Amino acid sequence: MFEIVSSIFKYAFTLIIYIFIYNIIRLILMDIRSMSDKGRSGDMPRYVLKLSGVKGIADFVIEPVYDLNKVTTIGRAVENTITIEDDFLSATHARIIRKRKNYYLQDDNSTNGTFLNGKRLGKRRVRLKDGDQIHLGRCEFLFVMEKGQVSHESI
Amino acid sequence: MKAFKTLTKPLNPLYMLVLFDILAFFLLYIRKTPFDTQALIVGGALLAGTLLIYILTGIFQLGDRYMLLITAMLISIGELILYRLDSSLGLKQAIWLGVSFLVYFLCYGLFGLITFWKRIIWVFPLLSVLLFLLTMVFGTTVNGSKNWIFIKGMSIQTSEIIKLLFVFFLACYYSQRERLMDKYPRIWVTLIFMMLSYTMMGLMILQREWGTPMLLFLVFTLMLYIFEKDLRLFLLNGIAAAAASAVGLLFVHHIRVRVEALVNPWKDIAGKGYQITQSLFAIGSGDFFGRGIGLGRPDFIPDVKTDFIFSAICEEMGMFGGAAVILLFLLLAYRGFKIALECSDTFYKALALGITLIFAFQAFIIIAGVIKLFLLTGITLPFISYGGSSMVVNFAAMGILQRIAALRETEGGC
Repeated sequence: MFEIVSSIFKYAFTLIIYIFIYNIIRLILMDIRSMSDKGRSGDMPRYVLKLSGVKGIADFVIEPVYDLNKVTTIGRAVENTITIEDDFLSATHARIIRKRKNYYLQDDNSTNGTFLNGKRLGKRRVRLKDGDQIHLGRCEFLFVMEKGQVSHESI
Repeated sequence: MKAFKTLTKPLNPLYMLVLFDILAFFLLYIRKTPFDTQALIVGGALLAGTLLIYILTGIFQLGDRYMLLITAMLISIGELILYRLDSSLGLKQAIWLGVSFLVYFLCYGLFGLITFWKRIIWVFPLLSVLLFLLTMVFGTTVNGSKNWIFIKGMSIQTSEIIKLLFVFFLACYYSQRERLMDKYPRIWVTLIFMMLSYTMMGLMILQREWGTPMLLFLVFTLMLYIFEKDLRLFLLNGIAAAAASAVGLLFVHHIRVRVEALVNPWKDIAGKGYQITQSLFAIGSGDFFGRGIGLGRPDFIPDVKTDFIFSAICEEMGMFGGAAVILLFLLLAYRGFKIALECSDTFYKALALGITLIFAFQAFIIIAGVIKLFLLTGITLPFISYGGSSMVVNFAAMGILQRIAALRETEGGC
């Protein structure tokens, strides 16, 4: 009796485990797809960091425009999203965080501080507005809305 | 609320899991005459615990639910096989699973509350050495490795704890490296880091344990490759490993025996090759769908409850069952890597990666060992093998990994 049940159940077990695995993979794929859709849809205004100036001689590599992710960290260490080897920056200097439609600037206990429109940031994160001036180390950035190809003209 | 939307789908993986558990424990119930009610109690408790964790995770968004489902499937398969091998062991393992569930939530909560992880980098190597000394003084030798402490009848395998400490140490170092290198000369920081890492791995070799140091070394090498800017360090590490294994092969009797057993186990079936050949016989007799639970003879395999549990799965659930276990581990590793990739903080990134690598490599080393693909070493198959300390530590690590996943989702970056 047990032998018969067990020999039938072995096919059932195999079937169940593989349906389980198939469905996990399907759900994971659905998750990935919905995530990349969110990234692609144009309903959210996308902002970028545009370099507006460097004080003194720039002895480090710097890009004219940086895209912003959900979390963008800025600093000297390679682990950052934006790595700038400016000696006046800390290893992890500051970060910009996107929450829903807003972007926030936060100083990560940097030695030389992060300045927003000339004012030094405290410990709390501050919401960014279009056209804000961000000053870290020797670099000055503008926080502006991305306008397709326009932002790349200024190189 | 997305967790509840999928509940209406008939083929939701959760239902598959519940169905699997019901069938499995019904089978164990009718296996004995008179019927074994203990099997039903164990199965019911396991199912209730799994569902409770799944529902709590769904409501409060406590991390990644796919990872939870995969883990639940792995422990269900493990519990089924263990209970079939020895019902008293199955009961013990169920109690350990209960403890593990508590530890899981404890680690989940504590890890989020404590924020000073990065500042206590010295604690981890220190604790490992302390644990090592404890086992040296109070330890007992089991299967040739002196790495067990017995406290009031309970045995604790310290190498399991050191595994987690090692990953924490690596994560702390890589999040603090820039700051340390600003303060002290770069070469000294690197040297001390390498020395401490090798000490933590080397101590276990002194206890005559080979599996865990190998596992930690693989994790260490991959972390070096990922986080070091300078590849020379990685290459140097590889050369050192090659030299060390050559020396081990030539002079350490224990390793030579293992290599001989791997190359040609048929030469000495009754002696050196006994374990591996028995394992191969079991896997071979399983065929595609297995012999059926309770119909094979996995008791011929030595150490079948811990190291060779994969052979028992292959014998009774077939090649498809074994492949499913490997697939589940692959998916688990994929989810772990995804969590690590989405973290912006180096500490959380390195920690998530380290924990995932531990699960992945541990499963790889032992499965490859029992199917004669790689050197056989005595480590457990995570979430499946019998073993209290192994289960508790794995669930603690899983709790931490889930917390990192939750931090990433709710706080916009950890």
